[in-house]
Amino acid sequence: MGVAAAATLDYDAELMLRVKEGDGASFGVLLEKHRTSVIHFIYRLVAEQAVAEELAQEVFLRVYRSRSSYEATAKFRTWLFRIATHMALNWLRDQKHERGQEHLDEGTADLPARQISDRRPSVEQKLVREAELREVRQAVAALPAKQRAAVLMHKYEEMEYTQIAKVLGCSDSAVKSLLFRAYETLRARLAHMEAT
Amino acid sequence: MPFDFTRRMPLGFGLAILLGVAAAAPSRCQQQPDRPTAQAQPAANAIDRWNRMSPEDRERELAKLPPARARLIRERIWRYNHMQPAEQQALRQRYQTFSQLSPDEQQTVRERLRELRQLPAARRPIVHREVQQLRLLPDAQRQARINGDEFRSRFSPQEQQIIRDLTTYIPN
Amino acid sequence: MNCPIEDRHPEILVAYAAGELEREIARALERHLADCAACRPVVAGQTAVWKALDTWEAPPVSPDFDRRLYRRIEEGARLSWWERFTRPFRPMPLRQALPLTASAGLLLMAALLVYHPGPIAPVAAQREAVRANQVENALDDLDLLRQLGTADSTEGGHPDAL
Repeated sequence: MGVAAAATLDYDAELMLRVKEGDGASFGVLLEKHRTSVIHFIYRLVAEQAVAEELAQEVFLRVYRSRSSYEATAKFRTWLFRIATHMALNWLRDQKHERGQEHLDEGTADLPARQISDRRPSVEQKLVREAELREVRQAVAALPAKQRAAVLMHKYEEMEYTQIAKVLGCSDSAVKSLLFRAYETLRARLAHMEAT
Repeated sequence: MPFDFTRRMPLGFGLAILLGVAAAAPSRCQQQPDRPTAQAQPAANAIDRWNRMSPEDRERELAKLPPARARLIRERIWRYNHMQPAEQQALRQRYQTFSQLSPDEQQTVRERLRELRQLPAARRPIVHREVQQLRLLPDAQRQARINGDEFRSRFSPQEQQIIRDLTTYIPN
Repeated sequence: MNCPIEDRHPEILVAYAAGELEREIARALERHLADCAACRPVVAGQTAVWKALDTWEAPPVSPDFDRRLYRRIEEGARLSWWERFTRPFRPMPLRQALPLTASAGLLLMAALLVYHPGPIAPVAAQREAVRANQVENALDDLDLLRQLGTADSTEGGHPDAL
């Protein structure tokens, strides 16, 4: 019975406990497993790849440096994304709003006439796709930071409400409410893309 | 002259500790008996030693390889580290037995295991089951069974060789 | 007219649009959607949102991400060791530092007597490096030896080969 219970312990938390005991290899395994999803999550939050990688480095540095005080009170991934979310939200808060808007506004000007007049379907399709992608990014970026984080965790990290709640430090019902409002907003902005 | 505690206390304290410890420490002629370990663990294998290296040293090693090969090694180590503990323990024990064989014997075991893997799908589980059952038997019974007519009639010469060698070199 | 599902449990519609509902529940919801003018546009809109979000691929991670991280870990470890070593002695006058240093040395000798009765192994032997090809060979052998585990492992190689 005890063995079965131990088997259900979050394996990543076990690895982190080994890191706590000085096993550097387990840190490498955790990094390999979670590096990409953390970077992608932060990227979609802050919308800048270089910043996302820098913040992700800080996240893993913090994980490594806090190894001696680590306690497996939650799933490792929950703890990891809590650090990543706080890091990214703090960065967003510290940046000027106009800076973020300027970055996202890049390329939203009307398409250059010479490209619009280009009759090659593949180029046109490519431009339409790029425009749609910009719309998606802008729609998500326009969400309040916590709603944005909740959507990204729900959609791209496939986290359940309870886990998102633990990451954001709120209740399950608060997460439901965040997601409800976020998706309502996104539906309003992106539903026209249904026909494409 | 007043006694200067800040200068003399630390030295005196240190000397007292040293003398006390020297008196209590066993002489070199009198070795402390090895403490029995609670559980006999297989000796560290190359992967265990790899896991104990620092992340920087491991990355330095992997950086010498083509990226695809380095990535594959990382994934394989990840799978090894993520095995169920009981299965990993059994595998490490088996590997330790294997590691203690001579190079020629190790090569023989590798060849037999590859042959086992390449047996026709219908025969593989039968041969595997025979290997498992024989490994559970004491040596004498195992030999009697392998030398028996029934064994020879059930298995082809190649299969007999696979079973014989694997049960000889990796008996349990 | 408000629908209780759309009003109180919109997450069911979101999950349905994402294809996450169990088949039985999805079928029951589909029967509901056939008659519900409130829920249908929500599902249609949410499906469009999921499709749109699916198009958003993140750029690939820099190939030197790990190397940069480990360098920072290494630098951090060196600094903190040095800081720990030098901090206690910085403001201390020599006449106080010397006796303390001497007594620390004596304590160290005492510790060595108790815990290191034999010769100390050279540092190189304590940090035994393993070559990547050694690990690879070990993995190959372990993969072969794993066949001797469960019966299932013989079916075309172990499903989770190392």
